[in-house]
Amino acid sequence: MAALTARAAVGWVLSACILLLLMSCPVRGEVAPSEYRVKAVFLFNFAQFVEWPPESFKDASKPFVIGILGADPFEGELDAVVRGETVAKRPFVIERYHDVSDLQNCNILYISRPQIGHLPQILSALKGRSVLTVSDADRADQAGVMIRLINQNNRIRMQIDVGAARAGKLTISSKLLRPAEIVGDSRE
Amino acid sequence: MTAAATPIRRRLMSVLLLTSGAVMLTTSAAFCAYDFLTYRQQTANNLATLGAAIAANSTAALAFQNPDDAREVLSALKADNHIVNATLYTPAGEPFASYPATSHGVRTAASLQDGYRFAGGYLIGVQPVVQGERRMGTLYLKADLSALHQRLQSFGLIAALVMAVTCAIAYLLSNRLQRQISQPILALTRTVGDISTRRDYTLRALRPHGHELGQLADAFNNLLVQVEGAQRRLHSQLGRLDLLHRITRAIGERQDPPSIFQVLLRNLEDELPVDFGCIGLYDPAAADAIAIVTIGTGSRRFSQVLEINDQLRVPIDQNGLARCVSGELVYEPDVGAIGFPFPQRFARAGIFSLVLAPLLLQKRVFGVLVVARRAPEAFSSSDCEFLRQLSEHVALATHQAQLYGALQQAYDELRQSQHTIMQQERLRALGQMASGIAHDINNAISPIALYTESLLEREPGLSDRARNYLTTIRRAIEDVAQTVARMREFYRSREPDLSLARVNLNRLVEQVIQLTRARWSDVPLQKGVVISLRTDLLSDLPDIMGSETEIRDALTNLVFNATDAMPEGGALTFRTRTSNPVDGEPLVHAEVSDTGVGMDEETRRRCLEPFYTTKGERGTGLGLAMVYGMIQRHSAELQIDSAVGQGTTVRLTFVPAQADLLTVKQPILKCEATCLRLLLVDDDPLLIKSVKDILEADGHTVVTADGGQRGIDTFQAAHRNGTPFALVITDLGMPYVDGRRVAAATKAESPETPVILMTGWGRRLIAENEIPPHVDRILSKPPKLAELRAALADLTSGEPSAAPAALRERTL
Repeated sequence: MAALTARAAVGWVLSACILLLLMSCPVRGEVAPSEYRVKAVFLFNFAQFVEWPPESFKDASKPFVIGILGADPFEGELDAVVRGETVAKRPFVIERYHDVSDLQNCNILYISRPQIGHLPQILSALKGRSVLTVSDADRADQAGVMIRLINQNNRIRMQIDVGAARAGKLTISSKLLRPAEIVGDSRE
Repeated sequence: MTAAATPIRRRLMSVLLLTSGAVMLTTSAAFCAYDFLTYRQQTANNLATLGAAIAANSTAALAFQNPDDAREVLSALKADNHIVNATLYTPAGEPFASYPATSHGVRTAASLQDGYRFAGGYLIGVQPVVQGERRMGTLYLKADLSALHQRLQSFGLIAALVMAVTCAIAYLLSNRLQRQISQPILALTRTVGDISTRRDYTLRALRPHGHELGQLADAFNNLLVQVEGAQRRLHSQLGRLDLLHRITRAIGERQDPPSIFQVLLRNLEDELPVDFGCIGLYDPAAADAIAIVTIGTGSRRFSQVLEINDQLRVPIDQNGLARCVSGELVYEPDVGAIGFPFPQRFARAGIFSLVLAPLLLQKRVFGVLVVARRAPEAFSSSDCEFLRQLSEHVALATHQAQLYGALQQAYDELRQSQHTIMQQERLRALGQMASGIAHDINNAISPIALYTESLLEREPGLSDRARNYLTTIRRAIEDVAQTVARMREFYRSREPDLSLARVNLNRLVEQVIQLTRARWSDVPLQKGVVISLRTDLLSDLPDIMGSETEIRDALTNLVFNATDAMPEGGALTFRTRTSNPVDGEPLVHAEVSDTGVGMDEETRRRCLEPFYTTKGERGTGLGLAMVYGMIQRHSAELQIDSAVGQGTTVRLTFVPAQADLLTVKQPILKCEATCLRLLLVDDDPLLIKSVKDILEADGHTVVTADGGQRGIDTFQAAHRNGTPFALVITDLGMPYVDGRRVAAATKAESPETPVILMTGWGRRLIAENEIPPHVDRILSKPPKLAELRAALADLTSGEPSAAPAALRERTL
């Protein structure tokens, strides 16, 4: 718990510095958000810029499900971000999966760093389903993950595998493509 | 003219220029405003579009917190150099990215309202950045409006240019066009000016082309026509008024209708003028015709053709006169179309217009004024009105003249009456005086007459010379008596019954010559005037029946007149002759002629009127009237031949007397039958004595009484004593008790006793039928023996009938 707090403190300091640099102006009394808070916002925002095929939402009351595979690094940030929010009048639901075998039907699947090693299983498990896969693993073997979050000089950058998304019948808004880096289609 | 013209030209120009300028200005302003607004709107729309595009592209940058990307997006605004600033804000309102990179529009977007607005010369846009339903942030845009201003400037410049050009064109056009309006108006103004300066209403305005101005000119010309007509009418009315005034004044100076009519007609012929004029009088009593009384001098040339003269009576039928005499003015514009005789006369004479104006007085027509002109329809309504007014004036003037005439006549009659009354009064006074004188003279000469007669009768022993003297005395006394009697004739107001007797005119003429000698010979000779007398008397002139006295008086008057007519002397001629008319008896004429001044027609006509005299105060105006009265009473004729300067001849013509109708009674010379006892009452001792002497000489017994009362006493005493009087002779005029009372007392005592009244007024009493009661006989003084004897004989013999006749015989 103490370690966590220290880490959080370090992250807060870093975030503050990033924000200061980013905006080129001082933010009065504001505390720079933690990395995972930013990533939680990203996850949430993906729901806005990505279109799912209609079959993903057969039931009108079906909630929009964000799944977290593996250990949850958000420390409740994601819950906080999506609380009370809707997308196309659907409330957000966050589900957490322990491993691949737990995978349920979700719309966005965040693959935590430890789980990236199981990527092929995961991808095969998701094959045929329209699930936007997101990962922030540092590894170079993230091939097959649709959106990769990369910390680059303390700024979160996106790499989007358009081919993987297209394979998952997902339409990614071109607006999302602008600030992101499009990576090669490894599968095809 | 130029000074007056400038304003309207300038005004028209300025109207046109202002109008076109205002139109241009409004158009330009509207255009500019429209363009400004639309351009601004367009600018706003463009910015909004730009903002929307930027916002749409900025969503991901905001969502994924990529300011570089956001700046890149914003840098696209570089293409629009009017964008001053663009800033992206996070949903929290914090600036996220800016363009230009270093300046933020506002510090925070929290207070910004979405939308686009103009503020402070900038267009400010606040555009929400939305992804799906989610607001990612806010885009702030700020654009300057220099483009708009530039555009407005260029537009203003163009508009000004266009306006300048337009105004120039408008000036040229209006300068030309205004002349079309201003020139006719100026021409009209000039005409009006000319008319008002020259007062010449015959001028006309030129008619310009163009509708309203043409109408204006037409209307103006119509107005001028009316003004001209009105002025002409006014002039004509003034002329008429003047003429009416002149005629009225002219006829006002006349005082008899014929001269009024003459003046009226002459004025009408000369001044109105008319070709023919006449006046007819209408008598409502004889309502069938108009009597033409006066024809204008100038109209007489038509009289022949028209067959109208002063004596013509025009019958009233349906020829317009009927309407006229009912008080209506009749105007026949064309008599040729009228079939009645009176209008046809005019048509034949070539006169076609006829006006008949009634002369009205108190709503009654007494005459008709007829005026005519040759041309048909030659009288206007104002002519008719003039004639109607004129006829009223004429009627009034005529009426006044008639009134004046009547007044003058009444005045003359009054004056004459007054004169007559004065004359009568004078005569009455004279008569009374004469009567008194006559009475006294008669009384005075009575003894002379009685004694003279008595002497001649009863004294056979008188010498021839004495007898001759006595005879002369008797004739003188008779003459005195007759003179006195004639003197009384002057005031005799009524003629006595005419007693006709045989009269020889020659003898009368001789008597008159002698009687009037003083007048025709002696008096003129005193003035050195000689009147020679000529007589031309027919020797065996038949007697006539008449009153000697009256005829003598008449001849005397004629001599007086003849003498008065010859103040410078001349010849007085008496002529008697007979004439033998074809049917009937010969007539006897007596003429008195003079060679004097003669009489003019007026005098000759009036000379027989009573009180008409040419002698002024010297004459009574009764001389010839008396002559005329005598002539009438004698059924004779009077003829007067006279001319001014030719002398006068007055001829009296009588019917000769029949053979002896009356024989003069032989006078009773003495008392043959009875000797009577008589009572003689008088207050004059001389008279008493003379009458007593005479009667006693006849054998009568005469008792005398001095005064009336004594007479009555004596009579009563004698009657009661058994010695009554056979007859009473009493004087009329006595003091205290007069003859009437004596007679009354006598008759009261003894009704059978005759009473003889002797009086110096005897003739007058007889003449006035004033024989008082109780008097049987009246004898005039001086008493004649014969009369006295006859009266005594009549009254005492019981046959009183012949007495008046005998008495009358003696009156001459």
